[in-house]
Amino acid sequence: MRARRILLRLPGVIVLSDHFVLVMTVLYFLLIWAVYPHMAGRRNIANLFSNVWPLLALVIGQMFVLIVGGIDLSQTSIMAVTSVLGAMMMAGRFDPAKFEQNPLWGVVFSEQGGLLAGSGWAVPAAIMVMLFVGVGIGLLNGVAVAKLKMPPFMVTLVAMSFYSGLAIYLSRSENIMHLPDSFIAVGKGTVGPIPSAMLIVVTLAFLAFVILNLSILGRWLYAVGQNIRTARVSGIPTERVVVLAYVFSGFCAALGSILYSARLEAGRPTLGRNLLLDVIGAAVIGGISLYGGKGRVLWAVYGVLFFVVLDNSLNKMPLEFYSIDIIKGGVILLAALLDSLRTHIASRQTAPEGIF
Amino acid sequence: MRNVKKLILALLLIFIFFANGSCSRKDNKPGQVTICFAFQDLETEYWVAAHKAITETLKARNIMVLQRNAHQDANRQLEQIRDAIAQDVDGIIMIPQDGESAVTIIGEANKAGIPIGVFNRPPADKSNPALVVVADNTRIAEETVAYMAKAARKLNRKMTPLILVGDLGDQNSIERKNGFYNAVNAHPDLFKKPIEVPTKWDAATTLANLEAALQVEPAVDFVFTSSDFLYPQIKAVLEPLGKWKPIGDAGHVILGGLDGDSTAYRLMQEGYVDATGVQDLFFEADEIMEALLDAIEKGQTKPEKWIQDPGFALMQENMAEREMDMWGCRILKQAKAGTAQ
Repeated sequence: MRARRILLRLPGVIVLSDHFVLVMTVLYFLLIWAVYPHMAGRRNIANLFSNVWPLLALVIGQMFVLIVGGIDLSQTSIMAVTSVLGAMMMAGRFDPAKFEQNPLWGVVFSEQGGLLAGSGWAVPAAIMVMLFVGVGIGLLNGVAVAKLKMPPFMVTLVAMSFYSGLAIYLSRSENIMHLPDSFIAVGKGTVGPIPSAMLIVVTLAFLAFVILNLSILGRWLYAVGQNIRTARVSGIPTERVVVLAYVFSGFCAALGSILYSARLEAGRPTLGRNLLLDVIGAAVIGGISLYGGKGRVLWAVYGVLFFVVLDNSLNKMPLEFYSIDIIKGGVILLAALLDSLRTHIASRQTAPEGIF
Repeated sequence: MRNVKKLILALLLIFIFFANGSCSRKDNKPGQVTICFAFQDLETEYWVAAHKAITETLKARNIMVLQRNAHQDANRQLEQIRDAIAQDVDGIIMIPQDGESAVTIIGEANKAGIPIGVFNRPPADKSNPALVVVADNTRIAEETVAYMAKAARKLNRKMTPLILVGDLGDQNSIERKNGFYNAVNAHPDLFKKPIEVPTKWDAATTLANLEAALQVEPAVDFVFTSSDFLYPQIKAVLEPLGKWKPIGDAGHVILGGLDGDSTAYRLMQEGYVDATGVQDLFFEADEIMEALLDAIEKGQTKPEKWIQDPGFALMQENMAEREMDMWGCRILKQAKAGTAQ
């Protein structure tokens, strides 16, 4: 009798659970796996997770901005500009035919390589520069939003356009190859049996978890996102909190850039050009609210997993290429609808009687 | 909440239990060859026609084709090809986003021991072995521009040449640009310094940049486009300036391009375009498929062969004899025949 009661309540409990997206992802995975056995093959699982890590870094950064009620559309352009700058510093050589007309030729790089090419410090210094630039752009975005009270959408949209253009200007639209092996290993190598990208992003996720769940800053971030005026009245330094959220997003974007550049073995001025939908889509599907005040690291993980599994599964099917896009859009829409329905049910259950 | 956690744990355990044993099964019918056809996008008529030729021919041979569109994103293409490798495909045909990402992706296929063919857009270097089919872009562009220069010579004035440059991350663009300069530099008395207009292979960028270039230098009277798909943008800019005139009219801008699509064919027939370089699309598609299927049959995992499509320049003076060698003309005539039926 008790078991029956539990079974009857289970669907409702799952739908309202924090882990709903994960349950959906696992069920979807099992369904696809029944038809396409390679879905659960070792190589495919490795692929799947190698696609998770860089995207997760971006989504975690985006989550911080979404929690404070903002949005960061400039993440992909931060990726592009940091990818180009990092590669310019550490690449082992440059093809004069492609780069001789570049304004930085002979100043930052030459045929013999980037500014630090050949030095033992080339890779760490280039990585530091990439992260520093990411943080710097995040800081500018944050200041524009928090201090100058500019709308986050406009600020980051303009930043996206500006830094994408800057990346193309700096590189003259050329991809920069011949990156050092030790840099490529950051995105493609392993530390023992563990992929280095996984180590980096799990550390980032842990840091984000600590900030959000165990620090006063985390409470301030949620408070600002839920109601910025109340937060200000309560003595929270709202401007600094908003700036920090954008700084963290810039940092995560630069980290994503390091991982993507390493796996593609090139500095690319168009890196991440089409990634924004995946980043924001994964965040929203994970349950992170676009209205602020709501988001958890675990939800970001679930959202990214769902996205990556969906993409991976569609790659298994012998479909016409356009039907893949249609199906992907349809599934994302369905997931977003389910999430919306779930939020509605949850709010009904917690609301006092008579409201609905 | 505890029930949910138990359910998730159970699902994960089931998954881990089965995951280890399932990787040796193939997703296709036994004995059927599977080829992943990964392309960067189908933004021009050339790519659409190539896509059609490759997929239809492979399907007609009972080969399973997994089509993957990367939407001009090199990282997405890398992920798609890694997924295809995990699926144990027998071979890969790729139209890469650019030469640099092609090198990385070929490396992935090499590592997995799966033969890979690169269609029309060559890798930036030969560090990783692959089957590559590519047109002799420098020579085709040079021949085309040389004919345009011959037409310009008859006008007895110094010309202001302009080139619409493709994405410089694409080796084809660089070679077409080199071919243009080879021909222009051969006539220092005929040409002023060429104006370069970047297009990044994008119609909107082309329109904006070409408009700006003609505002700065309205005397342009010699235009070479690195790809035929940009003719509508050229017309949109030249027409309001009164420069869209057929051959023989005063004010005709000497016009040429490269690809050999149906728009170029139609404009040559109407007399607006002087010459166009033609890549032999059907030759390239057949060659890459044959080479890949041969490698699969022989069990070669890292075949290496560069196949060159010699192409040719279709000019007003050889149009009557050679137009049926132009893929754009054949496609147009086939479509017309289909409509008539």
